[in-house]
Amino acid sequence: MIDGLSFFNSKFLWPVVLGLVILWAIFIWKEWSQRKEKRFWIKGVVSLIGLFCLGMVILKPALPKDQAEGMGIVLTDGYRQTQLDSLKSKYKRIPVQQYVPGQALNITAKVDSLFLLGHGLLDFDFWQIQGKAVTFLGADDKQGWSDIQHDKHIFLGETLKVRANYHQPEKDHWAVLLDHTGNPLDSVLFDEGPNSRVSITTSPKASGRFVYSLVEKDENGEMVSEEPIPVVIEETLPLKILIINDFPTFETKYLKNFLAEKGHEVSVRSQLTRNKYKFEYFNGASNPIYQFSQQGLEDYDLLIIDADSYFNLNNTSKSALDKSITEDGLGLFVQPNASFFISSKQAFLSFEADYSEKLVLGESLGSMEKYPYGFAEVFPSRTILMDSVPVAAYVMKGKGKIATTNLKNSYQLLLDGKNQVYTRIWTTILDEIVREREKVAEWESLTEVPHIDEPFQFNLRTRLETPQVYNEEALIPLRQDLQVSSNWQGTTYPRNTGWNQLQIQKDSMAPFSYYVFKAEERNAVSQKKRMMSNIREFGRNQNTLGRDSAMSKIFQVIPPIWFYVVFVLCMGWLWLEPKLFGQ
Amino acid sequence: MGDKRLNDFKRRWQLVQYTECVLYAVGVAGLAYLASQNFFLGILGFALGMAVAVLIFKPWKLSSEQTVAYVDAHVPEAGYSSALLLMPPSELSNLSKLQRYRVSTQLDAVIAKLKPPHQLPMAAMVMFGLIMIGMAVQFMLKDFQPKDLTPSTPQSIQFTPLDSVETNAEIPKLSSTKITIDQPDYTGIPNISTENPNIRAVTGSAITWRLEFDGEVANVRMDRMGEIFTLGQKNGGFILSQTLEASGFYSFSFEDKNGNKFVTDLYSMEAIIDEAPLVEIDGLDQYSYFEFDEVKQLPVNTKVSDDFGINDAYIVATVSKGSGESVKFREETVRFDGTLSKGKKQLQLKRLLDLDKLKMDPGDELYFYVEAKDNKIPTPNISRSETYFAVIRDTVTDDFAVESTLGVDQMPDYFRSQRQLIIDTEKLIKDQPNLSEKDFKFKSNELGFDQKSLRLKYGQFMGDETELQAAPGQVSSVENEPEGEEGEEKDVLDGYSHKHDSDNEHNLVEEHEEHGEEDEEEDPLHDYLHNHEDPEESTLFEKSLKAKLRDALSIMWDAELYLRLYQPEKSLPYQYQALKIIQEIKNSARIYVHRIGFDPPPIKEEKRLTGNIEPITNFDKKQEFEYQMSFASSRKTVSRLEQLIQGFNFTEMDRVLFQDAGNELAKKAVVEPLKYLKVLQGLRDLDKSVNRTKEHYATVQKNLLLVLPQVENNPGKVEAYEDEINRLFINELGKND
Repeated sequence: MIDGLSFFNSKFLWPVVLGLVILWAIFIWKEWSQRKEKRFWIKGVVSLIGLFCLGMVILKPALPKDQAEGMGIVLTDGYRQTQLDSLKSKYKRIPVQQYVPGQALNITAKVDSLFLLGHGLLDFDFWQIQGKAVTFLGADDKQGWSDIQHDKHIFLGETLKVRANYHQPEKDHWAVLLDHTGNPLDSVLFDEGPNSRVSITTSPKASGRFVYSLVEKDENGEMVSEEPIPVVIEETLPLKILIINDFPTFETKYLKNFLAEKGHEVSVRSQLTRNKYKFEYFNGASNPIYQFSQQGLEDYDLLIIDADSYFNLNNTSKSALDKSITEDGLGLFVQPNASFFISSKQAFLSFEADYSEKLVLGESLGSMEKYPYGFAEVFPSRTILMDSVPVAAYVMKGKGKIATTNLKNSYQLLLDGKNQVYTRIWTTILDEIVREREKVAEWESLTEVPHIDEPFQFNLRTRLETPQVYNEEALIPLRQDLQVSSNWQGTTYPRNTGWNQLQIQKDSMAPFSYYVFKAEERNAVSQKKRMMSNIREFGRNQNTLGRDSAMSKIFQVIPPIWFYVVFVLCMGWLWLEPKLFGQ
Repeated sequence: MGDKRLNDFKRRWQLVQYTECVLYAVGVAGLAYLASQNFFLGILGFALGMAVAVLIFKPWKLSSEQTVAYVDAHVPEAGYSSALLLMPPSELSNLSKLQRYRVSTQLDAVIAKLKPPHQLPMAAMVMFGLIMIGMAVQFMLKDFQPKDLTPSTPQSIQFTPLDSVETNAEIPKLSSTKITIDQPDYTGIPNISTENPNIRAVTGSAITWRLEFDGEVANVRMDRMGEIFTLGQKNGGFILSQTLEASGFYSFSFEDKNGNKFVTDLYSMEAIIDEAPLVEIDGLDQYSYFEFDEVKQLPVNTKVSDDFGINDAYIVATVSKGSGESVKFREETVRFDGTLSKGKKQLQLKRLLDLDKLKMDPGDELYFYVEAKDNKIPTPNISRSETYFAVIRDTVTDDFAVESTLGVDQMPDYFRSQRQLIIDTEKLIKDQPNLSEKDFKFKSNELGFDQKSLRLKYGQFMGDETELQAAPGQVSSVENEPEGEEGEEKDVLDGYSHKHDSDNEHNLVEEHEEHGEEDEEEDPLHDYLHNHEDPEESTLFEKSLKAKLRDALSIMWDAELYLRLYQPEKSLPYQYQALKIIQEIKNSARIYVHRIGFDPPPIKEEKRLTGNIEPITNFDKKQEFEYQMSFASSRKTVSRLEQLIQGFNFTEMDRVLFQDAGNELAKKAVVEPLKYLKVLQGLRDLDKSVNRTKEHYATVQKNLLLVLPQVENNPGKVEAYEDEINRLFINELGKND
């Protein structure tokens, strides 16, 4: 310990030593007369101690010490007791503070180096320990739903997919998806192992804002935990479809019947003879189309055209059609014929002969006819899958899409009584390629698990010049993205659990609904998220416990009061001694 | 007579016995009353129990001797001498008198305390036991009583206000309800008057509701699965009559003078369908076979049952004779033995079918089934049993061979030449001035020969011997025609046979044409037609046809005659006549198949292939489909309920929406009432303001979601935000094309 000793006023060392030696020499000389007596020796030692202390008071010796004062421990949820204990044993009297979200960490005032235990701080509290050396030690993952992903906004008729991960599931426990009224929709048994991935789908039956729930049940069917699955379900709008045919076919007839019966506005033009057409209008469509013009096609969401008509379009029509697709986002579906696949020069997609005239849709769905070609997977074309079977393919062209299929005589399915399959195939294909209606704005929530009184960050993309966003009470200030001017960000603090709304100043826009979770909901998920963001912020550091101990050692001055006391005592003895033992 | 004290005792004994009887009777009465819940049955039980008990105990028969014996046995003081008390003292000896005196003095003190023998505790226990049994039976009956189908709905009509009403307002009350169910007469169910609004009756029943109210009401209406009927006011009550056609639900509503609306719960109306009768034939194999020498009898034992009554039942027997094409059917209705008692619910019917009496021969088959009609009006339900078969085995088997004639033109080519003959004859007449007489005669004779060969050919069909081979020779020899001409004649015939303008051309089998008359021996038909043993030969034509043919032949004779006489103009009318008859014969022998398919309008030749499309116009067709997603209102209701749960206020629009949803579901509910009733009731309850609670909304929503089917596949337009960055990206991608 003494090796580390140093003097605070080391520059005075030699003068002080010299002075003290002189002082002591004078003292010895003064008492020399009593040199035959024992007191002489005692007095000599006491004066030496006294002088030494005096010297120490001046020199201020300091000892190197582990710097307990400069370090602190912040405990957050889920910390390990053993980790804390080992830290405490290493650093005596290290200050510890329990973290409470939103409250100030007083400890930061005293220390500049922190151990962060547990799942970490919430994002909005990071500022409190900014600039400090933080060692984030982390915690173990919690048992429970560590990840829940689901569609937050779907359209009626689509399926709601819920994918979740359960950390350390119990044996024989189940995951059940319930609808908002508690009717069970689907269930799955947990896999064994540390993590069980669960994937559940369901088709909602009604539109609206609902809170489904993902429930964990034990082997007796008792509910163990429940997580809300908030979802907004919207209805789709009917389509406006134009069908152009060189001659009437059964394929078109049945497709047209299907679409018309479903309430879509369908116009069909089939050629009777040169320049004479048969026009059929369903559900309100009326104006005949002879030549395509961008304006004429503007109203339509989808154009279905047979291959012959498509290739025989004159230049004006063709360029109008191209413009409509690229600029207005019109969907184009080309009904193929046998030669369509061969004349790949003009084709917008490339095909590969696969010599199979039968497409197997699946065990329960059976099979159907197809042309002996498959879609070549060449960028940028994309296939449309139905149950992982490609039924069509499309290429993006500007805003719109051009698609075709290799299915042949799909109406045969209807004749076979497989209406379900037929409608599903065409719904799948058409849903993918029809023009989308433009929204004024799109919302995105950046905070994954919003809670009461915690900041909820959202992203707004809009073409409005100066969007104004309101919550139930007030206007929320927005921050515009520097690079992308249509991007805006804002933060609000929800006051209620359940559904909350944000509204853009335009009344016609549907408000943005987001779900605020209760404190006990999505626990494991938010813990995990919190840990991830802490790791991102501070880095994970488990092995460097006490790595900076050398640096953090400082020399501590021994308080001079002790030397002073000894000095006074020594002097007192020297003063008292002649009076007690004087002749 | 007798001692007063002993008589007293006897009377007391009798009284005790009567009491016992009463106790037993009360027990029986209690049992009867409790078990049956009928007061009169209780009285009857009492009387019966009393009678039986009294007959068993016979208290009136209690004799003085029995009394004395009892007193002697139980009172030591009597000294076995109490009998002495009954005797007149004058008949007693002195010792006896002394004893009698002693007994009488001692008995005075004792007899009053002596209790007659009784089993009152026993009787009381039996009584209580019986009453307990009665109670137990009553409880059991209560438990096992058939439960009402919808116990949740009250057994009488109750109105509740739709919206909360100010309490001080006078609420009109339903003072009386009368529902009369008039079941169809044929069911034999008497008319019922009830208050229970849940109705169950046979289809076609007339139901009359009569509601009376205290206080002023207006607009009393019945809502039957979305259809609204207004109740007519009559004699202070509201009346509505309806015929029950199908199961369903209904409710009533009315308004008071302040315009507050009141509605009832949903009540069920179940139409019971009159079932068709059930016919069973017992103890009979589906197929029975008989040898021709057996006793051919079939016992038909039939059990016919129906839910309301059988009107008629009989056996329908069909006898088939022959086989293949010549099979003939004969249908007969056979009545059962005895008279059929109409209107019974169950009948046991018998009939012994004697195949001989049905005029069945070996090889014939009998098919029969039992048909029963019930008494439903106006159209009875008819049902029939399975078909049973009975066959008398045939000892011979016929080979059927008729097919060889089918599809082959039976008519030889000569049939066609009558027309040609006429044409040639007419030509001959026309050419007469230009021809030399010899030529004319020669041609006329030639035509006569043709006419003859034609006649002979037809003659074959009549079974006439053919003279064809010899005929030309004969003719020529008669006419002294040179031999060389023969060949020409043959050529002429050949010409006929190869003419292609005949009517029947297309019916011909090819080979037929190739065969001239010379080749007849090789003609497969030839042999066949001359086979006189063949029954086909004689049935080749019907009788009238034969006569016609004979007429034609005789007319041909005349035609030939005039041709041979070189008077073709006279021959011509006969030829026409012959042609006409032959045409008729041909037509009758033809098999007509009605033409089906598209009959295109005749094409105007001048327009054909001109390529002129001027008159063709565009064709326009317009059609509207009222598309609604299945259960659209119900789905909207689900969304709306979610909003209501979140605290929105109930509006008038919601009421309409819920009603629509209810009507949608009611259509389904008819098929599966149990599944939907809860939902319907829930939706209906939402009409009442008291039920508008979050819990109730949630229950209705839950039940609604349970019964709703999945959404059908339907493509649709979705909304999406088109981002600048995405667009730039896609445009960049497109540049590489």
